[in-house]
Amino acid sequence: MTSRIPLVVCLAAGLIMFLQYFSAHPVARGMFNQVNDWWQIIFAFTLFVGVAAFINNSLKAILRGKERLFKTVSLLGLIGMPFLAITGGTKIGSPFLWAFDNLQAPMQATVFSLLAFFVASASFRGFRARNLQATILLAAALIVLLGRMPITTYLSDALPELTYWVQDYPSMAARRAILIGIGLGSMTTALRVILGLERTYLRWQ
Amino acid sequence: MDWGAVVAGLLTLAIYSFLYRDNPVYKFAESLLIGLSIGYALVTFWQTAVLDKLLHPLFHQGQLLLVVPLILGLLMFSRFSRRLSWLSRIPLALMIGAGAGAAIPAMLYERTLRQVSNSIQPLVTSDSQFNFSGLVVLAGLLSTLAYFYFSREHKGFLGGVAKVGTYFMMVFFGATFGYTVMSRMSTLIGRIDFLLTDFLHYLQ
Amino acid sequence: MNSQRTRWAIFASLFALMVISYTITLKWKIPTSPYIQKSYEFINSLPPSSVVIVSFDHEASSLPEIQPISQIILRHLFSRNQRIIGMSLFAEGTAIGYQTLNKLANEYGKKYGEDYVFLGFKPQHIAAILGMGESIKQVFPQDYLGNYSTEIPIMQGVENYQQIAAVISLADGDRTVQWIEYTGKKHGLKILGGFTAAMITTYDPYLSSGQLYSAIGGIVGAAEYEGILGLPGKGNRALLSQTAAHLFIVLLVIVGNIAYFRKRRGEK
Repeated sequence: MTSRIPLVVCLAAGLIMFLQYFSAHPVARGMFNQVNDWWQIIFAFTLFVGVAAFINNSLKAILRGKERLFKTVSLLGLIGMPFLAITGGTKIGSPFLWAFDNLQAPMQATVFSLLAFFVASASFRGFRARNLQATILLAAALIVLLGRMPITTYLSDALPELTYWVQDYPSMAARRAILIGIGLGSMTTALRVILGLERTYLRWQ
Repeated sequence: MDWGAVVAGLLTLAIYSFLYRDNPVYKFAESLLIGLSIGYALVTFWQTAVLDKLLHPLFHQGQLLLVVPLILGLLMFSRFSRRLSWLSRIPLALMIGAGAGAAIPAMLYERTLRQVSNSIQPLVTSDSQFNFSGLVVLAGLLSTLAYFYFSREHKGFLGGVAKVGTYFMMVFFGATFGYTVMSRMSTLIGRIDFLLTDFLHYLQ
Repeated sequence: MNSQRTRWAIFASLFALMVISYTITLKWKIPTSPYIQKSYEFINSLPPSSVVIVSFDHEASSLPEIQPISQIILRHLFSRNQRIIGMSLFAEGTAIGYQTLNKLANEYGKKYGEDYVFLGFKPQHIAAILGMGESIKQVFPQDYLGNYSTEIPIMQGVENYQQIAAVISLADGDRTVQWIEYTGKKHGLKILGGFTAAMITTYDPYLSSGQLYSAIGGIVGAAEYEGILGLPGKGNRALLSQTAAHLFIVLLVIVGNIAYFRKRRGEK
């Protein structure tokens, strides 16, 4: 029973969502809209479960005395945002949006920008033309880097044209093949999931 | 004085301190970021999914059928109990089944058939010009697909074609790397713009 | 030079180079690439008061790159008196989209509810995209400010994708792919993309097949669009630093490889 009920639910939901492509009947549309709404609502609860797990783990770490300060800071941030939203709302000029604009967004963008430095370091230390494949990779990267520089367009049309050609033909062909492979794999996996042949998600506890 | 910009600037520098080495200032900023991100997501999900789509229609508009997703959503919390954790499989199964069902036609048509059909272009045009680029696309597509065919060992003809596929993939990875560098540098430029204009007021 | 010091030297050089190049102001006029031109012509060709969905499908981490794109596209749409339905398929895109849309709408004297609306965010993006094909008001019963969608003037007569001229998805990941895959065949929706440079090669197959109508990629794409409209902004400002960064990376790759081959020859 612990597996059978979920498998039946999976089959039912899968069939409703699959068949909605093929039927405009009001009953079919109605069922599709219900499953769609339920899907979104349940998805939100998965976030809440994650938050509960995070709070649980952080509190355990604080009680154990492990990284007490940093875990406390995280928890204060987590509690702070809902507190600001409840007390000040979420419209323009609210403390909630102030916290997003001046605390969260700048830090997030800065963390991402750290990658620029690591990419530069990796370019010097790791990017080697060791064999033919690495050389091709390097050549393609250099063509794109040089061809997409704004200044190149003032010097010559040839390099930007070459960049667009590399991007639109050989690179695109490989990406397309990967996409098709993923598409075929996703389809077969989806079918296996709906039919209950693929049950790895049931082992999640 | 724009205190928001001051705080944002100090936190930016705290994150950049990681470039020297991992340190408590960076860890503090990172911990704060994690907490704020989760708190923000909590507010947004609560407002947009639970209030808008569940509680308001259920209690103010009488849509009683919404009790079902409410119960299913609450069942997700059963994973914290060893004895009852199997109940959380039910809402999970609904989500995964729905996703799988919606994905099949999308993957079949948009990701597979449309892409294959667009790759089949005439190699000789109506005015007898040889379409070299079309040949490159076809060769790249077939050879890369051959690389991902693992049901046979990559030896002989198949091995040769698969090797050509790796070269096309290297072109793709190289182009992607080039664009990724471009993207990361743009993000860094954005932060430098903030530091020089809003934080230090050095530029207008 | 030990490897730690080499790293620090590279970091410091990159930072100094970017700061110095950013302080130099240059007015660039760069040629327009074909997809930027196509995006511009498409928005120009829309009849006035067409309804366009602008979806802020990105996170705050890519804000420096996506914001110039979103701002120039919104400026173009507002200057052509198009009506905009803003939304987001990423939680963080909600705050970003709401504020960006409001700021630019105020610049053009647009009225909330009549000329534009921000519907907000809905979780599980595939369900949201599919649901909007049936009824946008069902997916978004209220807007971000809590107004009922049925009572918002701009939403009168807008039921689903049939009344939408185009969707412009501003993404730093593969959300635009989901717009393409879950609306394309079924609804025949025109989809334009605005995304980070890192995603350009991801979207090439869709551009080539026409599933993605056109795209603006990266800060250079934003600069090109600013050039067409004659509204230089952050995109244009970043070009010199971008050029300097690219040259620096190319130099590092070349120097690194020269050092590698010399070492290999020495070992032989």
